[in-house]
Amino acid sequence: MSNQETSNRFTGASRYVLDDELAKIVNISMALEMPLLLKGEPGTGKTMLAHAIAETLGMPLIVLNVKSSMKLVEALYQYDTLTRLNDSRFGDSKRDVSRIEDYIRMGKIGQAFTAAARTVLLIDEIDKADTDFQDDMLDVLDQMEFDIIEIDKTVSARHRPVIIITSNAKKDLSDPFLGRCNFHHIAFPDPDMMRRILRVHFPSLDKDLLENSIAAFYRMRQIDGVEKRPATRELINWIRALKADPDCKTAQIGKGEPPYLGILFKKSQDYQRAREAAARRRL
Amino acid sequence: MFIDFFYKLRDVGLQVSPTAFLTLHRALSMGLVGSLEDFYTASRSILVKSERYFDLFDQVFAHHFQGADMPDPKGIELDELARSMLEFWLQRPQELSRLLGMDEQALKKLTPEQLLEYFKERLKEQTEEHHGGGKWIGTGGYSPVGHSGYHPGGMRVGGVSGNKSAVKVALERRYRDYSQDGPLTQALVGEALKRLRHMAPAGPKDRLNIEKTIYQTTQNAGEIELVFDRDLKDKLKVILAIDNGGWSMDPFIPVVQTVFDYARAQFKDLKIFFFHNTIYDTLWGDPARYRKAQRIAGFARLDPETRLVIVGDASMAPYELMATDGSIYAEERSGRPSIECLMFLAQTFPRNVWLNPKPAETWGYTRTIAAIRQIFPMFELTIEGLEQAVSHLMQK
Repeated sequence: MSNQETSNRFTGASRYVLDDELAKIVNISMALEMPLLLKGEPGTGKTMLAHAIAETLGMPLIVLNVKSSMKLVEALYQYDTLTRLNDSRFGDSKRDVSRIEDYIRMGKIGQAFTAAARTVLLIDEIDKADTDFQDDMLDVLDQMEFDIIEIDKTVSARHRPVIIITSNAKKDLSDPFLGRCNFHHIAFPDPDMMRRILRVHFPSLDKDLLENSIAAFYRMRQIDGVEKRPATRELINWIRALKADPDCKTAQIGKGEPPYLGILFKKSQDYQRAREAAARRRL
Repeated sequence: MFIDFFYKLRDVGLQVSPTAFLTLHRALSMGLVGSLEDFYTASRSILVKSERYFDLFDQVFAHHFQGADMPDPKGIELDELARSMLEFWLQRPQELSRLLGMDEQALKKLTPEQLLEYFKERLKEQTEEHHGGGKWIGTGGYSPVGHSGYHPGGMRVGGVSGNKSAVKVALERRYRDYSQDGPLTQALVGEALKRLRHMAPAGPKDRLNIEKTIYQTTQNAGEIELVFDRDLKDKLKVILAIDNGGWSMDPFIPVVQTVFDYARAQFKDLKIFFFHNTIYDTLWGDPARYRKAQRIAGFARLDPETRLVIVGDASMAPYELMATDGSIYAEERSGRPSIECLMFLAQTFPRNVWLNPKPAETWGYTRTIAAIRQIFPMFELTIEGLEQAVSHLMQK
């Protein structure tokens, strides 16, 4: 393997703790030039991964946040008719009104295709869009080109972007879609992994606080019937709150009702249930 | 290369496409795979497209590369049983050794692995099945170890694979928990029911569509063209009738509760009624089925476009459905068999579905389910079932 390629391998970033398996999968997907589809519970770092890849490889990151009403063409390009009309009436810009091309604005996918350097393209929460959008988009990403109808021009990618797609859905995406992606499911980090993650975020964290809060956190994740279980993000915020509170006694975290439950449980039913569970433990 | 492996994956029911297999070979020929560990990671991410099949993949992988047992459903069950026995042993050693008729001290000397093996052996020895009863292992019954017994394992967590060998990782079967279908949460129900919202244009064309106007105007090179739309209104009316009576619906209460919560939050024009087992002349507006009676004859006045959704297990004694005085409540007996009332409802609201929390493969065994299915299209109360039901309700 040449030096050039070695430097293009992904090994983890400053704020992201990566497990070996995922690093391999990212590297394989990049080499095969296939999009990588990531699934997993909210809070397992699906979106963070794309940021980390962009940071490590020094590539610009382009994020396409998928919305339910989104049309594919919006992600590709937009024909800015309004500016063109304005220019044609008042004519005070340097654009050439007779050239429609001057009024085509690239959408996120278009930007990734036309960028001067290789980019990381993150397509976030693909499951929000309907199936047609998903399949059509994969066609574009497969061919690495799309047509601009207004000027009858084909835009092809100058550099194949590294494509990361995330999905929260329990439901599987359509078969043609899956056929064109590599797939990985990010499991919720186990306590060891969580310790490493927290150390990255809080390098000088008190050891007792770390251990007690992790223990309490995993115990609270076990509470039955909770709809939105607390994830990494909640834990990090929780520890931030505990650190900020001068009255917080580290040893007390595991006993009785943990402080600041509202940071961990954000639905009122879940909050109630967590309080009840904590009360039961005390008895 | 690895053609056997490919067909083995297909044999156990993994939908591995030849294209994906070729992609894997592309990865191999590019020198991306330098070890068995790499091969495990690469083949799984390229060939397997859902975490639900990760467990199956792990088993086939371990079998192919190390001759571990091929997954067969019986083996898995035995495995689970032995594991739950081990967990029980760790909590209450005396009780288990007493139940097995074994010396506690002798068992204590074994390592967990040996214990697991020992339990498996004991389970294999047990040739005849016991269902119920309190002594041995079977399905149901109050013996603490067994198929439907208490299983405290909870969700296992995968994580760093570190320096372990691929086969060992595969043998760990970290993804076992994903292979089962998860519970129906409110968010999932929401996803399925979202499509039931029925936005239809109504009223005069008096709303200026600014975006279209600008677009049309610019297309006309500045000649102003105004585009008007009708207002969008949610015209959907829903009647939800829930079977909340009797022990036969008890196991499904959480799932029905979820549907109920979501429906109440989501639909503007929603009427909720309750019944027990089947519907006679009245539905009840209160869960206790006591105060707010609603004659179904009065439904004829409602909009026939109303969607009728009935949730119930449709399982009861046949006479409750067929006999003229079939109701188990004396005051409900009116001379009309329930099945006629159901037909009346189905005719009043042609857009109707029956959601059944029982698994579809068991429907054939209950006579009343078969009878009700002839009146209402019946769907399973799962994500797939809900989606089918919704698309059935939205059909033109």
